[in-house]
Formats: sequence, C-alpha cells, structure tokens
Amino acid sequence: MLRSRLAALSSAALLLLPVASRAAGNSPAPAKPPAATPAAPAANPGAPAPAPAANAGTPPAAPAPAEGQAAATKAEEPPPPPEKVDPKLFDEALSKYFDGNPRAAAGPLFAWLSATPKTDDNYAWGQYFLARSLIDLGLTHAGAVYLARIARERTNPNVLPRALEALKDLTDRPHDEVMIDEQVFAALDLGFLEQEAGAYVHYQQGLVDLRVGNERWANTHFAKLEEGSAEASRAKFALLVTRLKTVKEPSEELITDFLSLSKDEKLTREARNEAALAVARLRYERKEFTGALEAYALVQLPELDPGRATLYLEEAWTRYKLGELRASLGILTTLDAPSFRDEFLPEKYLLRALIFRDLCHYLPAKRAAKELTRRFADSLDAIAERDDLAQDLRLRRAAEAHGSTRRASRYKELLELESERLGRYAGSFGDRLQSHLTKLYALSLGEAERVYQARLTEAVRQEADTLLRAAEQVRLMEYEVGLKLYERVKKGSKVVLPAEEVLLKPEQVAFQFEGEYWNDELKSYRVRIESRCIEETP
Amino acid sequence: MRYALLLLLLAPGLALAQAEALENPGTTSAVQDRLYRMNHELSLGLGVLPADAFYKGYYAGVSYTYHFTDHFAWQVGRGAYSYNVKTGLRRQLERDFGVAPTASAFEDEVEWMVGSDIMFSPFYGKTAILNSKVIHFEAFLLGGATIFKLNRDGGFRPGANVGLGLRVFKSDTVSFRLDVANNVVFAGASRIINIPTIQLATALNFGATE
Repeated sequence: MLRSRLAALSSAALLLLPVASRAAGNSPAPAKPPAATPAAPAANPGAPAPAPAANAGTPPAAPAPAEGQAAATKAEEPPPPPEKVDPKLFDEALSKYFDGNPRAAAGPLFAWLSATPKTDDNYAWGQYFLARSLIDLGLTHAGAVYLARIARERTNPNVLPRALEALKDLTDRPHDEVMIDEQVFAALDLGFLEQEAGAYVHYQQGLVDLRVGNERWANTHFAKLEEGSAEASRAKFALLVTRLKTVKEPSEELITDFLSLSKDEKLTREARNEAALAVARLRYERKEFTGALEAYALVQLPELDPGRATLYLEEAWTRYKLGELRASLGILTTLDAPSFRDEFLPEKYLLRALIFRDLCHYLPAKRAAKELTRRFADSLDAIAERDDLAQDLRLRRAAEAHGSTRRASRYKELLELESERLGRYAGSFGDRLQSHLTKLYALSLGEAERVYQARLTEAVRQEADTLLRAAEQVRLMEYEVGLKLYERVKKGSKVVLPAEEVLLKPEQVAFQFEGEYWNDELKSYRVRIESRCIEETP
Repeated sequence: MRYALLLLLLAPGLALAQAEALENPGTTSAVQDRLYRMNHELSLGLGVLPADAFYKGYYAGVSYTYHFTDHFAWQVGRGAYSYNVKTGLRRQLERDFGVAPTASAFEDEVEWMVGSDIMFSPFYGKTAILNSKVIHFEAFLLGGATIFKLNRDGGFRPGANVGLGLRVFKSDTVSFRLDVANNVVFAGASRIINIPTIQLATALNFGATE
C-alpha cells in the first residue's frame, strides 16, 4: 500500500509538470486580432512590397511538414509549381482577415506565401496571419505549425513575440508537445522576450531541465523569474515535485513548502489542489492521518463539481486508518455515484470488504470482495489469456484517464476533430491549401496515433498490474472472511457494545440517502451501521 | 392453532427482512453542516390585505426576529402601515346607492398594525435548479398577536394570527421570505373579522455563526 501510494504520488507529480505548464495563462486568451498588427506591415513603408511573381523562382514555401515528427517517410509527389500571384493579394487577404473573414483570407494568404520568397519582409507576417486565420477557423494545429515556423525561422523580430504569445495560448489546450513545448519554448534562445512571454519561456526551459534531471540548470532559468510572480510559484511547485522523486523520507520542510503552495493564490486552483494533495499523501506516508485529512480539506472545488475519484479513495483510506469506518464507508458510497461509475478503482472493493470485515459483517464483506472479480472479470480474463490489453475497454479507459496517455489521447481527438472540420472549408480554401492541410493533418494524425499507442501500451500494463494486485488481495480477503464466517462462537462471548457515535451535531442537517446522488453531498455521506463483533471473554 | 398460522404467515417476511439487513447493512445519510443559520433578523417587506371587498390594502412592513435555534424564533416586533385603495364595488355603492362612507362595513379598513409572533421552522431543504444550482429554503409556521388600528374612532382592535411562511436563502446575510397569515380580529363586542395578509420581504441576517 505504502509503495503504491508513493508511486502514485511520484507519477502524479511528474504528470503535473506539463499540466501546470499548460495552465500558465489564467484563462485561455481568445484569438484576438491584434489591433496594432495591421499597421505593422503597412507601417513599414521602406519594406519592399511582397515579391512579384517573377521572384517565384525562389524555393516556394514548402508545405509545412508535420513539425518535429518523423512520419513523413513515404515518397510524395513533387508539389506543383507555385502559381503567379498579384502582389496586392497580400493586402487584400489582410483586409479580409481584419474584416472578420478568416475563411476568405486563408486561401489567398497561402497562395501568396507559396509564391513569395522567404526573404520577403512581409513573409513572416503572411505566416502569422495565415496562422491566426486557421486558428480562428478552429484549425489550431495547422495554425500552430505556422506559428512554430515563425519562432524557428525568426526572420522578423516584430512578428516573433506575437507568434510566441499565440503559441503560448495554444498550450492551454491539447497540442503538439514536441513541436511547441520542446522545439520552441524549451529549445530556442528566447531570452530577449518581454516580461510575460520571457517568464513563460524560462519556466518552460526550467521544466525541461527538471525532467531530464538537471536541477541546477533548471534553477538558472527559474532564478530569472520575478519573485512573487505566478511563474515563480509554479517553478517552485515543479522543483518540490521533482525533489519528491529523489528523497526517501520527505522532510517536514518539504511538506511545509507544499502547504504554503497550496495556499498560494498566484497558482491556478488545479495546482493549489495538487499541492494540497501532495501534503495529504506525504502525511499519509508518515502516518499523520489527521494532518492528511486536514490537507484533503484544503482541496477546493468549483461549486457542484463532483471532484476526483482518487481524492475520495485516498480520503477513505485515511479515515479507515483513523478508525473512522463509517465515514470511510460513506465515502465509498460517493464512489458509486454516476460521476465515478467508469473510474478504474479496484481498491474501492478491497477497502469496502475490509471495513465490513472489521465490523464483522462477513456476508457483505465477502460480497464486496467478490464484486471486484465480478466487475473486472473480462479484464482479468484478458490478462490471464495474455490478450492485447489495449483492446480491453476498461483497462484502456483507465489508462487514458490520466497522465501522458490522456494528453496523447486528447491531442489525437483534437486532430481528428480538426481533420473533420477541415473538410468544411474545402470550397473556401482552394485546392492548394486544402490538399496541403489535408496532408499535414494526415501526417500529424499518424504520428499522434503512434505516440498514443506507445503510451497506451505502457499505461495499460500498469493498470493491469494494479488490477492484479487488488484481485490478489481480494482473494486473500475472501479466504479470511470465509474462515470467519464459519468460526464457532465460544461460550460466554458477548457482543461488543458500539462506541458512542454522534451522528448529527446541532448545527448539522441530515438528508437520508435513497440512491439519488447530489453533487453537493458527495463529500458528506455517512453510514450508520452497527458492529456485529463479539468479544470473547475467558 | 391460530397463533401457529399467524407465525407461518409472518415468517417469510421476517426472514426476508433479516436477509436484506444481513446483505445490505446500515443506512446512509448525507450529513452536512447547515449552510444557512439565522440569528438576528431584520425584515423589510411589502404586503397586501386582499380579502376585504370594499378596499385593498397595500402595506409596507418592518420586523425584527430573534432566532433561538434553527427551529425556534421569536418575531419580537413587527409593524406595517397600509395604503388603502377603494374597490370598484365600494365606489359603486357610494355613487349609485348613496351608501355613506362612514357605514360600519367601511370602518374595518386597516390603517396600521403591530404585533409579535412565535415561529417554528421544522422544514429545511434544498432544491436543484436545472441541475446547475442548488438553493436552500426553510418553511415555518407562525402564530402570535396583533393590534390593528382600524379606520374608525378608537379603532384599536386586538387580533390573533396564525400563518405559514417560506424562506429562500440567498446568502449568509440575505434571504427572501414569503409570509401568509390570517388575523382573527375582534372588531366589536360580538363581531369577529378575518384579515388575511400576504407579505414578501427581504430579510437581513446579522450575527450568524458558521
């Protein structure tokens, strides 16, 4: 149990790093047309006009490959020669964009980019507005590809901060982590950036250093963050999480640091909750169960939010350890709510069986134990038969529910959705842009699928391990309960008097549970059940 | 023989109940801290005296209530002043049939009233609005005494009232209250009249503990 908890803590902590980084913006910024931007190309009268068609001999803007991905191996047909375009096309396309018609702007911008050399002063602006148009149309991945190209090519210093800002906003949703996080924010020298974007870059680069185990380098980046800023708080959180991996016995100081972060308003609520959970888990490991419960109480949820199943299960274990069997059983009732019905929580059945056993309700204990093998019969069979575990619905759902597999799954879903969406614009984009984007999405989807499958294979194996461990303990429990069930009661034994239990204080109100779950009650279920244990007196 | 038959009839039911208790032991309740607790309550309300055929009274009222517990409270004082509007019937009687405005039937108009009540709130609950919000409410019974000033010389008349009410909580400090009561007023030596009141009020709560 201890080991599994520690493992869960570490993995949750590791998984949190990218999560915390994605939560950088307090709210995802809508794609806003930058008011100053239209002036930018125009305000540069010295800049040469977009290259005439005669210059089209320069290498055209090659169809953007799926950046950072290795799937484009098959031979492709050579792209058709770029069409000659009127230099005015760029201005017309921009005009359409600022008139609120990105659909009409995208095709001309792509045509202009295809026929213009990369050395053109407006080339980066063209890429930027094509990206913004695509993002406005819901094709965020395609937009991100162009923004990432701007960041890597860095041909126009006026465009670069805007492109990075737009990219930063895209990290709030499922995105290509390799292309954006690793190849842009973590890899490029972007120290010249202004305060906010620069802080984000330092934070990202520090995170990458932490992930590869180089805390000293990470500290170099984190030291550049302004003291008291949101990024500084997140960086501190990331550092603490990383230290958790290395220490065997977490110190009180580490717990105190997490505790202070759990109350740091500069962090997102999700990050604060993770810090509170870290405190609770560390205290649990140190057997400070009351302190763990206090930390669980620090977790704040939006109104009527059902919360997270793992949080309830951990609290149930804590209360069980404290001897609060009825409260623990109440929390297990919570875990039967429809919101958590699909959660993969084999330990839930084990804990319920343990509680019933401790209260000497042996039949329910046996039934609770059997429930696990009954409910997960298909998955257990698949494991026994050495089937492809990724095909098992329960295991796959469990694997997809958290961590990097979840991110890969969500990214794949996003690509599928946007690929479908792309079909809607076939008439507006023109053949060249349409076929280019179709190819782009096909390649990205192929790579996303590959990454997803690789992560899924590993994740389902871990979930299968969890299930097998729980099933093994449940079998032991069944055996133990079976023995108890037919144990002879010695002469002179008497029923243990139940401890005085105050179920309802004057300031409390009770709503009898009759199978209808209310989200505001999920934390409040209590079970009134008598112990049937007997005391064997000599 | 009769007892044996009775036992035979009851046995399966008892066995079934016992089996159920063995398989699903315990009862589950959602135990929550009461979200809203009243203490010193000041209400400001608007009401109507709807029953009299010769006038309708529209009144503004104020009251102070002290809540001893979540269930019992004393509405220490309440007072209301009524603005009365003649009904069409009265105007017709005066215009077409020459009924004097001082006729005894017209002398039951309430000018103002003061009173005090005991409140008992046995119901506390919550309800979901479109599955996206939960509101809490309580229902209460009240009973007390009222002094009415009627529109006549020496028009002070005592009355007893019973009613019921509903309170919807908005926050710790603000709630909305609907009171419906009937006042039995001793209008004369051998005359009793009923004066129903309906009032909607905003209640401000002070000094509530969490």
